[in-house]
Amino acid sequence: MALLNRMDWYDLARTTNWSPKYVTEDELFPPLMSGAFGLPQNAWEKYDEPYKQTYPEYVKVQRDKDAGAYSVKAALERSRIFENADPGWKSVMKAHYGAIARGEYAAASAEARMMRFSKAPGMRNMSTLGCLDEVRHGQMQLYFPHEHVSKDRQMDWAFKAYDTNEWGMIAARHFFDDIMMTRDAISVSIMLTFSFETGFTNMQFLGLAADAAEAGDHTFANLISSIQTDESRHAQIGGPALKVLIENGQKAEAQKRVDIAVWGAWKLFSVLTGPIMDYYTPLEHRKQSFKEFMEEWIVAQFERALTDMGLDLPWYWDIFLKDIAETHHGMHMGSYFWRPTVWWNPAAGVTPDERAWLEEKYPGWNDTWGQCWDVIIDNVVDGNMAMAYPETLPYVCNMCQLPILGTPGKKWNVKDYPLEYNGRLYHFGSEVDRWCFEQEPERYAGHLSIVDRFLAGMIQPMDLGGALAYMNLAPGECGDDAHNYAWAEVYRALRATKKAS
Amino acid sequence: MSITSSGQAYHNNLVGPVMRAGDLATAIIEAAKLDNPGKEVFVDDKRAYIRIHTEHEMVLYRETIEEELGRPFKMNDLEVDLSSFAGQIESGDNSVRFYFSKKV
Repeated sequence: MALLNRMDWYDLARTTNWSPKYVTEDELFPPLMSGAFGLPQNAWEKYDEPYKQTYPEYVKVQRDKDAGAYSVKAALERSRIFENADPGWKSVMKAHYGAIARGEYAAASAEARMMRFSKAPGMRNMSTLGCLDEVRHGQMQLYFPHEHVSKDRQMDWAFKAYDTNEWGMIAARHFFDDIMMTRDAISVSIMLTFSFETGFTNMQFLGLAADAAEAGDHTFANLISSIQTDESRHAQIGGPALKVLIENGQKAEAQKRVDIAVWGAWKLFSVLTGPIMDYYTPLEHRKQSFKEFMEEWIVAQFERALTDMGLDLPWYWDIFLKDIAETHHGMHMGSYFWRPTVWWNPAAGVTPDERAWLEEKYPGWNDTWGQCWDVIIDNVVDGNMAMAYPETLPYVCNMCQLPILGTPGKKWNVKDYPLEYNGRLYHFGSEVDRWCFEQEPERYAGHLSIVDRFLAGMIQPMDLGGALAYMNLAPGECGDDAHNYAWAEVYRALRATKKAS
Repeated sequence: MSITSSGQAYHNNLVGPVMRAGDLATAIIEAAKLDNPGKEVFVDDKRAYIRIHTEHEMVLYRETIEEELGRPFKMNDLEVDLSSFAGQIESGDNSVRFYFSKKV
């Protein structure tokens, strides 16, 4: 029997809205969950997903994808890639899996909300598949690192991280809870699928795959680029929702959600993806700098597509363009300096050769960040290790939950952007972070940053030991220098040569 | 690099797939040339992924890809290696189109 072509029946098959007789439309689709923006069901029936997929096709395609990813893993399992990898690269894997694997399950829940509560039938279909995608991503990104758990305790954080109060995880949860766990179906489609997945996931799942392929870690490269083939489909859930909102006079609300989500994603990637691309990945394996990947994926591809949909560039565009060359250097220095508080071993990444690369990619690096690293390097070379660890807390932003930082050197520009709300004083690392908070203060006002918790006496004893216990970082899990300071040898030798001459 | 050069990256009209490397990507490169006559096809191979782009619009036909692959191919099988794409997408049974609605 000849099968009909998909497009001969697709539109009819997804026409699944009906007029409720026993309940009101608001009871069937509670506005709080559906996020209808005051639009009735029939307005959402115009939603037309551009990237169409049906369940039978989905099953076949996903089977092919899994066969590919798992067979590469099986083929390379005995090649001892992990054992032989540079310690900096192992840290890339640890940071990636911990920050992301369990978040995929959270994303499945967000997709499920669109599946049930969206008034757009096309969205319900696509997010059914999207939900299954996210379950796949959670399972794979727990299964792949699992083989390394017996070799390295920090690999256990692939599963553990999401449940802890480790500071990076507080920041990651704060962001993901905001864009996907506490929003209505339409807002999830805009903030998670459109803003985060068509944009930033490409940085972590394709940009990093390019570095992984260069580093010879084909299992990882293949896994994350396979995951991204799911993303490229279900990320398209948000686009048609934006079109419906714009056509119905809701552009400002749509734009606001995109701007909040893009900024939050940027801050999170500045601490997660920036350091691993520009400092942890061994120099000879770096395909491009973090900034170049940002220009490729976010500026040239994502923002270009965003304006093509009828939205505007975010109001903070110029701030963003400036920050993509700066913020992550500070985030790296912070996570390196506070290294006992992360679940991976940060690589310093500041040998003379690496500094030359940084200076080439980020002109002025030596006169700014380099000056601070000179002090750290001197302390390490002198064996003055107490000075190479922190004694105080960083200042943390009440929006992104990450350290408030500026660029050191002559143009030292660190600044607090305070806001008093309901009698409490909040601190923000930028005008944009404060703006995000102000859009809906009651959403964020009750949250305590890690520093707020410390000052409130919730972390006891009030020292590094107490902080590590609060963050669930057990001995053997706390981070330290990825290369056990072996990189300092070259500076020791340079100093000896200088003395001799 | 300055702010200006980062900002310049935005000013482009390139659309098209970003493929995982493999025989499908190779077929897509050839199909892009055949199905978009008169257009230059830009290929940027980043090893883990390959950008295959043209200006403003790119159409790929199922039949062309099938011929290039030398085996039956369903349009939605593109997804197996379609990691990302630039521009907007319009998917059909026998073709896929990447496009921008506005030029910058």
